[in-house]
Parts: sequence; C-alpha cells; structure tokens
Amino acid sequence: MKTNCETVKNSLGAWLDGELGHADAEEIRRHVEGCPACSGERRRLERVQVALRGVLETESSRVAFEPFWDGVRRRISEERPRQARLWEWARPAFYPQRIAWAVPVAIVFLLAIFSLVQYAPGWRWGVNRGNVAAVDSIDGHGFNVAVLRESKTKTTVIWLFESQEEDDEASGEPTAKDPAF
Amino acid sequence: MDLSDWELVQRCQNGDVAAFQELVARYYRKVYMVVLGILNHRDDAMEVAQEAFFRAYRSIQGFKGGSAFYTWLYRIAVNLSIDFQRRQKRGPTELRETMDEAVDNAAEGASSANDPFLDLQSKELGQRLVAAINELTPDHRAVIVMRAVEGLSYKDIGRMLGCSEGTVMSRLHYARKKLQEKLGPYL
Repeated sequence: MKTNCETVKNSLGAWLDGELGHADAEEIRRHVEGCPACSGERRRLERVQVALRGVLETESSRVAFEPFWDGVRRRISEERPRQARLWEWARPAFYPQRIAWAVPVAIVFLLAIFSLVQYAPGWRWGVNRGNVAAVDSIDGHGFNVAVLRESKTKTTVIWLFESQEEDDEASGEPTAKDPAF
Repeated sequence: MDLSDWELVQRCQNGDVAAFQELVARYYRKVYMVVLGILNHRDDAMEVAQEAFFRAYRSIQGFKGGSAFYTWLYRIAVNLSIDFQRRQKRGPTELRETMDEAVDNAAEGASSANDPFLDLQSKELGQRLVAAINELTPDHRAVIVMRAVEGLSYKDIGRMLGCSEGTVMSRLHYARKKLQEKLGPYL
C-alpha cells in the first residue's frame, strides 16, 4: 500500500541505524521483506553508506601516523604557558608609545572628576547625591532676600537684609537693621 | 599492556605526552575521516584534525570522564570543521577536485577483479557521492559522516553537535534523501 510505503521510507534510515523501538522496527522489517520497492530503497540507502565509508577509509588509510603526530607535537611544543600567553596579550598596552598617550588621558580624566566635584557639590561619586544646599537671592523692595534650602534635613532659611552699599550711600553709618531670620 | 582511554587521559593530565601520543595513534584516522567528510579537502582536513588533537591536549585537564574520550574528541573535531567550513566558503568544484583521487583509490580497493563494469560503476558512484555531499550544508554533512564512519548513535551525535536526537534524525533523513536524489541512477 502506497501510504504505508511512504511511512516506511521516512523511517527506513532510523530503522537501519537501529534507532527505532522494538515494535516499530519489527513492523518495518516485515513490510520491507514483503515489499520490493522498500527493499530496493533499503539497498540504495545501504549503498550510499558503504560508498561514503569506503571513500573516507581509503583516503584516511593514506595518512601515516608519524607526519600526523609531528604536526600535533609541533603545536604542543609551540604552546606557551597560560601566564605567558596572557602577558603576551596584555603587553602592547605597556609599550612606551601607548603609555605616553595614557598619561595625558589620565590627567584629563582626573581634572574632569575634580571639576565635577568642585562645581557640582552634590556630585561626589554618588555619595550625598540629592543632599544639596541651594542659595537663591532676590531683590525685594529695598530688601535682599536670601533663601537657603538644604534637602537632607529639609531646612529652609530665609534671610532678609538691606543692601550694604545703599546704607553706605545714604548715611555713611552702619545700619541698625540686622538681618532677620 | 593496553591501557584504556581513561587511563591514558589520566596520564596526560599528569603531563605524560607519550600517553597522549597513544591516544592520537588510536583515533587519528577516525578523526581525519570525519573531518575530511565535512571539509572534503585533504590539506584542510589534515590541518583541522591536527588542530583538534592539539585543542584536546590543551583542554584535557578539564575532561572528567563524563563521556567517552572519543565522543569528546569528535565533538572538538566536528565543531572545528564546521567553523572552518563556514569561514572558508569554498566552492563545491574546488572541493570536489581534491577528492577525486581518493575516489579512484576507493574504487580500486573495492574492485571486483573480474568485472570492469562494476569497477567503473563504483568509481562513478564515488565521484557522484563526493559531489553530492559537497552540496549539503556542514551540519548535514557532519551527521551523515559521523553515522557512516563511526556508526554513532543519534544520542551521541546529538550530544556532539549540541542538538536533540530528533534533529539528528531529521538531518540524517534529509541528507540521505538529497544524496539519493543526486545519485539516483548510480544506486
């Protein structure tokens, strides 16, 4: 039956390779024995296998052991210890020409970090980030108002004071008005 | 006294190069066959097979005997061959030429002295077979060669190639079907 032959052909390779379970293998064996088409298919599969093995065996039989081993041994003797290979890999980084570049690069990097710390006080490698004390100053009707906010303790200080320059210009005397907190 | 593979491996792990030489002597032909089947190029196959043994030697400290030595060795050789083949991207014609001589020799070796027609047919089949194999992908070549050379189980082949038994079965089925299509009248 054609359908049956198709099923068998799909499993023929696995059957020849001994990869089918006992029941399936037995079913296929019985079919192949009674079916000339599947029997021919089996012969063709076996022929491919035998021909391939024949070609490869003939070719490999021409390879003598000594030259083969010499090639392997040469590779082994050229193999350096792991530390030597690691050093060889890393050594170019320590060439004087590369160090000559590395020094200014390191200086620029340090300066950049220093500037960041200097001009952005809250930026200290992530420590105290967000704990920023900010001072705002505005001029309001003759008073200068300074507002100091500190985020960690949530403290706000409002500082009102008169401009010293205006007082000096008006009286030449120190003002009696102290800053009010 | 014949030592087992595992005993030789243990000696290698203690720095005994002679023990490794013994392992090479046992398996170099099989490894060469597998690699040649995948690469179909004699010189490349020699290089890759030697490199496979060298890599095995270099990694032998890590071999704990969880699988057979030859399974581990074939895995190295097959993976190297597949990588090599993908990097080379040679044309099939270039590959085919290198194997023609092997086909001639195979036909001579298997010759039935009384029947020149069968000799010719066998030689023709070999040549067609090599050409047909060249048209398979490296993955398909690997499964069909490992099965033909060593008769390895699907489980072992799958372990070597890092794929399931089902994948091995399907690749083998596909590869055989393709070969049969190409070789049709010669089979």
